[in-house]
Amino acid sequence: MNFLAPWTALIAAAVSVPLLVLLYFLKLRRREVAISSTLLWRRAVQDLQVNAPFQRLRRNLLLLLQLLALAAMLAALGQPVVRLSMGPGKRYVLLIDRSASMSATDVSPTRLDQAKRQASRIAASLRASTLGLGEGGDQAMVVAFDEQARVMCNFTSDRRQVQAAIDAIQPTDGRSRLGEALTVARAFAGSQAAGENSESAASAAVQIELFSDGRIADAEELDLPGGAITFHRIGLGGDNLAVVALQARRSFEKSDQVEIFAMVANFGPEARTTDLQLSLDGAIRSVRRLEVPAFRTPQGRSGGGPGLASLTFALSQPSQAVVEVRQTRPDLLAADDAAWAVLPGPRRLAVLLVTAGQPPLRSALRACPFQKLDVLTPAQFDALDPDDLAAQGLYDVIVLDNCTPERPPRGRFLVFGRPPAASGVAFDQELRDQVVVDWRSRHPVLQHVNLDNLYAQRAWRLKLPAEASVLAEFASAPALALVRHGGSVFLLAPFDSLQTNWPFEPSFVLFCYNATAWLGLESGPQAETALRVGQPISLDQLPPGQEVVIADPDGHDHRLRASSAGTLHFSATGRAGLYTVQIEQRPPRRVAVNLLDPYESRIAPSDSLRLLGREIGDSGQPQPTNLELWPLLAFLGLLLACLEWVVYNRRAHL
Amino acid sequence: MTEAPAQPRRLGDLLSQDFLTRLDALDVMSRRILQGKLQGERRSKQRGRSVEFADHRPYAVGDDLRLIDWNTFARLDQLFLKLFLEEQDLTVHILLDCSLSLSSGQGGKDAFARKLAAALGYVALVNNNRLTLSAFADGLAAQAENLRGRPSTRRLAEFLFSLPQGQASDFDKACRQFQAARSGSGVVIVISDFLFKNGYEDALTRLLSPAYDLYAIQVLSPQEIQPELTGDLRLVDVEDGEIAEITVTAPLMTHYRRMLAAYCDQLDRFCARRGAAYVRASSADSVETLVLTTLRKRGLLK
Repeated sequence: MNFLAPWTALIAAAVSVPLLVLLYFLKLRRREVAISSTLLWRRAVQDLQVNAPFQRLRRNLLLLLQLLALAAMLAALGQPVVRLSMGPGKRYVLLIDRSASMSATDVSPTRLDQAKRQASRIAASLRASTLGLGEGGDQAMVVAFDEQARVMCNFTSDRRQVQAAIDAIQPTDGRSRLGEALTVARAFAGSQAAGENSESAASAAVQIELFSDGRIADAEELDLPGGAITFHRIGLGGDNLAVVALQARRSFEKSDQVEIFAMVANFGPEARTTDLQLSLDGAIRSVRRLEVPAFRTPQGRSGGGPGLASLTFALSQPSQAVVEVRQTRPDLLAADDAAWAVLPGPRRLAVLLVTAGQPPLRSALRACPFQKLDVLTPAQFDALDPDDLAAQGLYDVIVLDNCTPERPPRGRFLVFGRPPAASGVAFDQELRDQVVVDWRSRHPVLQHVNLDNLYAQRAWRLKLPAEASVLAEFASAPALALVRHGGSVFLLAPFDSLQTNWPFEPSFVLFCYNATAWLGLESGPQAETALRVGQPISLDQLPPGQEVVIADPDGHDHRLRASSAGTLHFSATGRAGLYTVQIEQRPPRRVAVNLLDPYESRIAPSDSLRLLGREIGDSGQPQPTNLELWPLLAFLGLLLACLEWVVYNRRAHL
Repeated sequence: MTEAPAQPRRLGDLLSQDFLTRLDALDVMSRRILQGKLQGERRSKQRGRSVEFADHRPYAVGDDLRLIDWNTFARLDQLFLKLFLEEQDLTVHILLDCSLSLSSGQGGKDAFARKLAAALGYVALVNNNRLTLSAFADGLAAQAENLRGRPSTRRLAEFLFSLPQGQASDFDKACRQFQAARSGSGVVIVISDFLFKNGYEDALTRLLSPAYDLYAIQVLSPQEIQPELTGDLRLVDVEDGEIAEITVTAPLMTHYRRMLAAYCDQLDRFCARRGAAYVRASSADSVETLVLTTLRKRGLLK
């Protein structure tokens, strides 16, 4: 047996036991009554005392009973427990999944609450060290994870702290990835063990308690060397309908015509019919019925998967709008029942080409459907006041062709040739005879662009800052790079297009179109209006130190300030829904954050967890390691108090 | 003798006129025919001067010549004396407890005892009996001796209104003193609660005598018969200040009542075995009932 709160009991005992004994020795203050003779009373009392058995012990018996009752209460106060598990103190890492699927309501009230409840059971039964002597107590660390891991509390033996950390875990709509959580746990365990002597570190093996529904995206990639992991499966059912894809686009030809594509997946075992509701700016525009087939379990070679059904809404919307698609059938997980998209207004670009005269580039740009294309020589461009240019916002994109202005205005640039100094990119030597070896064909700038045959006779070797992204590469240097610097965006092509064969390739025109479109529409103020849960909202081209207010779907305002580079990243996008970015003197901008993740929407809990081929079964609910004895002792104390009362009532003494 | 109060109070203050009227019809009875000192209204075994003829006996030298039956001498020429049954008076002794246990205790035991003494004394006086009132506490405290006739009711009242107060009781000592002073024969009535720590047996034995009828009247208050006490108490004896700490519980109360019953029963048996009469009275009852009913039934009054 062990006491969880021995000091409380000892202090209480130090106060109450002497007090009881003192009270016992104090004489009862009796009411005085004058009577004619005490003769008969004396005889009656004497007779009773003689007749009562153990009458000599009676006084002591009362004290003894009171002391016993007090001792029982005090022992209960010390929270005695019987250790069901013996041995040295253990260290627990409580990993609690708080991803979207943990918000499912198949267990009441949600899976996350169930997980927290089970974790609390382990927290409550942590063994305390005995008065800081002898065997060490148990310690626990709490980590909540979705895509990222968050340490709620470090290793501690304070059960209240652990409990508070568990209580503080809030659900998110993110995906579950366990890797980071395990790394963090291991790092903390290692760093603490290093601080202690090697013997106790060795004895304090880390026991990982994982509370999850088993829908962990990166489980197959994980390895647990030497660590014990116990998987507590949370959740029962898997009936869920989810919106897994949403795309809102303006027609290329008719810019006020909008096409909205939505896909609904059924993860339940039966086919379902649901109503898909389309709203624009909160006003319902269309409701269409959709039959979604049942989930197909994998059989043999044919891979299983959710039943999918899709719909395309076509409607006319001449202005900017927020599109919401919602499936209306109630199911177990609410986070994936809706998806949002921000539909930009119809817009055509104004482009400025600064060139000494280069027909291919000019022709390629002329082919693009711009609102206007102005052409200036470098001398004319230098003559303009850059601040005026930026303030007027005349041009969405400026194309610099072999032109390096000293002070370009803040804006978005497509640069051919040497990068301007304002881009913060240095270049050292000229390279010769370069071919493109790799490119990011999925980037919007390089969509449908084939760089297979691109050959550059001469090119500049760029020295990019760390945050720059490379879109295409020569053998030893970047061929296309995207740099954000000083509130401007630069798409750098470090070569003169006339010294390459690119103008003769169809991909050149496509590149010009993609690059101007992307720079003008997506990298600008309208950039990144559709994000996945957990992806940061990134803003640039802000005045350094500018205050930005971001309202999340729950209605909480987050106040942030832009960095000195004019950028800002808001990463607390854990909930799906619409985020509103408010910058002073600018119209509010809305960003849709969606789950859109079939893996997370498949909420059926998996019975076991496969970690690098190792299968870990569900170990059920955590078993308490301690048997609490205090209710028993409190009852015993009550019983003794009653007995004492009975004895007191039967006594009579002089 | 007691000090005379400044304004003598009348017996009417103690007893109602109606009650006194009814007492007039009663007389103190002795179960034995007792020898009195005067020719009272009571028949005595002793032959003496009376109108009721008893016998003749031959004359002896020295006899009172007035008692010679001259008619018989004329017929028989022998001297005979006429003998008469003498009618004698009855001495009534009332021993009244005036210790603290009676006077200071609850329940009006004191008033009850005085009234009872007044009623009995009155009956004795109106029937021309000799009445001796003795108040006792720590020995004999006061005495009114040889009251006789209706006019003495005033002295009776004075005595009862000026009883000494505030003493502990020593029944045995009082009886010893009483016994030493007593002579002749009569009726002894003891009015007390008989709660004597030193016991009553020796004292009562002293009072017993072939020449006396003994009546023990025990007066108890309702608080003694059925105490209504609760809680943890410190009982203080009003006489000797002795303390008894009790915690009132149901078993204790039951036991007390049993003790009281046993105590009274023991006193009753003690008296009965020695030819004395025992009467128990509660101070909550009326004196009238006790006198007119109970004592007449027990043969003290007729």
